[in-house]
Amino acid sequence: MKMQISVNPRLRFHLSPLVWILLGLMGIAFVVAMIRYIYGIGAISNLSYSYPWGFWISFDLFTGVAIGSGAFVMASIVYIFELKEFQPLLRPSVLTGFLGYVMVVIALLVDLGHPERIWYMMIHWNHTSVLLEIGICVMSYLTVLAIEFAPVVFEGLKWQKFAHTVHKYIMPFVILGVVLSTLHQSSLGSLLLIQPAKLYPLWWTPILPVLFFISAVSIGLAMIIFEASVSSRYFHRGLELHLLEKLGRAIPVVLVIYLIVRFTELTVSNDLQYLFNVDKDHVLMTILFWAEILLGSIIPLILFSFRRIRQSPNGLLISAIILLVGMILDRFDVSWFAVRHPDPLSYIPSLMAFNAHYIPSLPELSISVGIFSFGILAFGLAARYLPLFDAEDHHKSSTPAD
Amino acid sequence: MTEIQNIKHKTFLFDATRCIDCRSCMIACSVENKIPMDKTRIWVAGVGLIGEYPKLDRASMVYHCMHCEEPDCLSACPVGAYSKREDGPVLYNKDVCIGCRYCMNACPFGVPHFDYDKGLIDGAFIDKCTMCPQRIDNGLEPACVATCPTDALMFGERNDLLKEAHARLAAHPDRYINHVYGETENGGTSYLILSHVPFDQLGLPNLGSTPVRDVSEAVMGLTIPFALTWGAVLTGITVGVHQFNKRKEQIAEEKAKEESEAAK
Repeated sequence: MKMQISVNPRLRFHLSPLVWILLGLMGIAFVVAMIRYIYGIGAISNLSYSYPWGFWISFDLFTGVAIGSGAFVMASIVYIFELKEFQPLLRPSVLTGFLGYVMVVIALLVDLGHPERIWYMMIHWNHTSVLLEIGICVMSYLTVLAIEFAPVVFEGLKWQKFAHTVHKYIMPFVILGVVLSTLHQSSLGSLLLIQPAKLYPLWWTPILPVLFFISAVSIGLAMIIFEASVSSRYFHRGLELHLLEKLGRAIPVVLVIYLIVRFTELTVSNDLQYLFNVDKDHVLMTILFWAEILLGSIIPLILFSFRRIRQSPNGLLISAIILLVGMILDRFDVSWFAVRHPDPLSYIPSLMAFNAHYIPSLPELSISVGIFSFGILAFGLAARYLPLFDAEDHHKSSTPAD
Repeated sequence: MTEIQNIKHKTFLFDATRCIDCRSCMIACSVENKIPMDKTRIWVAGVGLIGEYPKLDRASMVYHCMHCEEPDCLSACPVGAYSKREDGPVLYNKDVCIGCRYCMNACPFGVPHFDYDKGLIDGAFIDKCTMCPQRIDNGLEPACVATCPTDALMFGERNDLLKEAHARLAAHPDRYINHVYGETENGGTSYLILSHVPFDQLGLPNLGSTPVRDVSEAVMGLTIPFALTWGAVLTGITVGVHQFNKRKEQIAEEKAKEESEAAK
């Protein structure tokens, strides 16, 4: 079959300056990664005995997975609840999810001590390990997302027959994808369950997985709004304002559930005493907690409740950004800021001495920046060469089980 | 707890009142296990001066793996690189380790540590105390215990050492904090500690008698049942919604037909 790639003329992809910057950032990350593979993780990062997990885990794993949640939220809306009007938003969010998870895997290939053994997760199973569940889920879900996105690629290649075939059998994969997403979105919270002695009480709760799942749904909805708004500005295409307005209506509902669950849990587990603790040792945690509650839940809850804000492109975008900042702060809190690691006493060997505190190093950040640049570039290329923003007619004729 | 006491296996007993902070245990461990001193598996932490003049005191604490009865590292490791030997030691198998460092997060005592300065060629691994299995298999004490000049570190059957510890507490109630750290902490450990200063001052975490891994394992146990139920529910919703929409369309069609017929 002959490859025929047609550039969508409606999309103006400003090629040179941004693409060169992105390629440059990727190049830097590549060089830094090579240094890490030769001289070790310590050569490029400030990870230590006290901080085995740092920026890569908080940003690339926790945040990366969270912002990929748009894919399963959208797939549930379009396929499971058959709200077909939302079809135009499906493809970009599935792509974001797919790229997000690819970025997670790339980051893990830098972060793991033995990246060449990442596949050991498939053959050596320790069934009590939360990390194993996440590994298996992420690997499987990446496959599911590839299948969900395949029709778009096939259409881009004008292989309509393949696109049609994949589409016909997509339902089982969609359901599998939603189940896998539910599992690993929540299990990211479960990762911290084993650290009750280390994670600050405002965050550690046995229902962390439930909180993570609910917040993932709100992040997914906000991500779809964010993505559609930004790409409509960048690619000068139309904005599906009426659809985004409807998604925005769902956000306050999700956030109210989140707040109720979270504060009920704090009450039940008798942690309310920490809410306004301004002692020297606790004040930072109190500030972080309220920052994430205000930005992630309360302010977006108010903003998205106003029809006027939901109907304005700027209002939608700004509210979504506030929610995302707050919820990402939550992921950073849980995986990094609110974790108290053992603080070695006066005599400590050199491997443990260099920091009981952790600030990521520049090379460490450059890895994440490089991987993120890859994601943006890949999204841009897909938007240019694939029918990403087209809800084509043949979908209507090929909905499953007809 | 009773269950633990019936297990016959080896345990350390550390008495902080006897430790003179000489650090020969560190040297012995380093030599025995061929570990460079800057990567030691055992370290002695001094608390510094405590109390107020003239009642001044000081304390030091020998840290190494606590060899928990229910190890959290073992529970957390995704590829099962950890194992607990029946006679006590918690062991690490570097041949399956993927270097995720989740064990370092999971361990409430912060024991496992990682080679941050080794690249792919040398291979970066986790390291921690092994209770010297090469020695105990030959009827010897671990190197740190054998070298300790003041018997601050002792080694033996867990039951015997528990008795010994409680005997010391009973004999000198004025000298000790009345508690054997490790008897119940984190579900019991194979490293018992006696001290004359509060245990948190020695840098030991304040842990309950249930291992920290319990909640995480309980949640993990729900995974498969939840996944199956959730899958079934979603399938049900999908089919239900689809049938509902189909029926709605049919009704709408019929209505349209009727209307068009009526119009005729």
